[in-house]
Amino acid sequence: MIDNQQNRTQGAAGTTDAQKAPQLQLKDIHKEFNGNTVLSDISLDVNAGEVVAFIGPSGAGKSTLLRCVNYLETPSSGDLLIDGKPTVKIASKPTRNELMNLRRQVGMVFQSFNLFPHISVLRNVALPQERVLGRSRKEAEERAMELLTRVGLGDKADARPSKCSGGQQQRIAIARALALDPEIMLFDEPTSALDPELGGEVLAVMQELAATGMTMLVVTHEMSFARRVSDRTVFMADGRIVEQGAPEQVFGAPREARTKKFLEAVLER
Amino acid sequence: MIEAIPFLLQGLGTTVIITFGSFLIGAFCAVPLALARLSDIVPLRLLATAYIEVVRGIPPIAWMLVLFYGLGRYVTLPPLLAACLALGAVSTAYLAENYRAGIQAVAGGQWEGAGALGLSKGDTFWRVIAPQGIGVALPPSASYAVGLLKDSAVASVIGVSDIAFQALTLNQQGNPGLPIFLAAGVVYLVVSVPMAVLARKADTFIRTRSAV
Repeated sequence: MIDNQQNRTQGAAGTTDAQKAPQLQLKDIHKEFNGNTVLSDISLDVNAGEVVAFIGPSGAGKSTLLRCVNYLETPSSGDLLIDGKPTVKIASKPTRNELMNLRRQVGMVFQSFNLFPHISVLRNVALPQERVLGRSRKEAEERAMELLTRVGLGDKADARPSKCSGGQQQRIAIARALALDPEIMLFDEPTSALDPELGGEVLAVMQELAATGMTMLVVTHEMSFARRVSDRTVFMADGRIVEQGAPEQVFGAPREARTKKFLEAVLER
Repeated sequence: MIEAIPFLLQGLGTTVIITFGSFLIGAFCAVPLALARLSDIVPLRLLATAYIEVVRGIPPIAWMLVLFYGLGRYVTLPPLLAACLALGAVSTAYLAENYRAGIQAVAGGQWEGAGALGLSKGDTFWRVIAPQGIGVALPPSASYAVGLLKDSAVASVIGVSDIAFQALTLNQQGNPGLPIFLAAGVVYLVVSVPMAVLARKADTFIRTRSAV
């Protein structure tokens, strides 16, 4: 926790240890859709092991920003660095190799899970390891089983995803992403499609993952999760970062009027 | 009518060869055509669309005549091969549209999910999208195969001795038409009904297996 505190202040202040660049750096990420600016020049540093929660109203650009980090969305301009190294030479024109390398380092979990419905839970977790990392089937399935057990779903290995609850499906999706040994994990509203109880299962797995030191970027409407688990909370509106800081500060004493307005609307429900 | 059956059955093998031959050509060639039809590369997509529309817009018998008599001036194709090629070209167009529908029926999140995992486009298509899309593409393709069996009768116009050709021959030898053509109909039914049943079975099997 104390380590995290230090990380957080470093990240928030944007100061970096000269020898050690932040694990993830976004520099002036700009995104336009047909002339509409969705993200205006967003810069953000994230240190290894840090958990950053993105909150804000719909349409603020939170998901778009997250999707720029693994290039599911191609930024119009800006730089994306991992461990101080640029990931894509020309921001708007990633090459196939650059995408492959980036996605090997960054895992992602979606609101809609996106599990493969035609193969078993075990194969869902094993197949990407075989195709992307070249692991043998045996090795991949052993690793898959280990991760499924870790998220509490070892007994579902042979079932089809459709036979699992939403919360279970999302935990499988987390296991599938972790199986590729990512350095950074992105969560795009991972509990928005779930009822509160099932969402709780997923949040528990995420909290545990955070405790292991995984770097996590989480777009969420779960304010209590952002408050409890994140090392830093980023409030976005209209394609900009309005305010960021320790969750106690952002939630307890927001500096910007826009943040106050949002939090009042959300927390008073 | 009964006496005609052995003679008609001599054409059965040919009918089956044309049906399966042209269906196989179509099933195979429709894959690249469907992919071209969905390609991001505009000229490729236009070319594929043009092929599909032109081929489907002209009756199969016309293609057969073009291929056999029209090209006969430059290359002489054996009638059976010409029939398979002509119907194969038509099948390609129809089946490509079925494949396209199957591919497009798969949720967009599947491409994204696979992309985020770092799967290549080829792996994503063959291991994630195609196995799910086949459930959608199969039923219309199976009915198309049954239709093809009947359409293969047009091959008789270029002298392929299929069931229809055998029936015509008997008729031209002075036998009464009605019983002969009825008998020919029965021979077609004997093949097409089991085919339809088999198609339905395959469909159910794939559906339970892929649970789309």
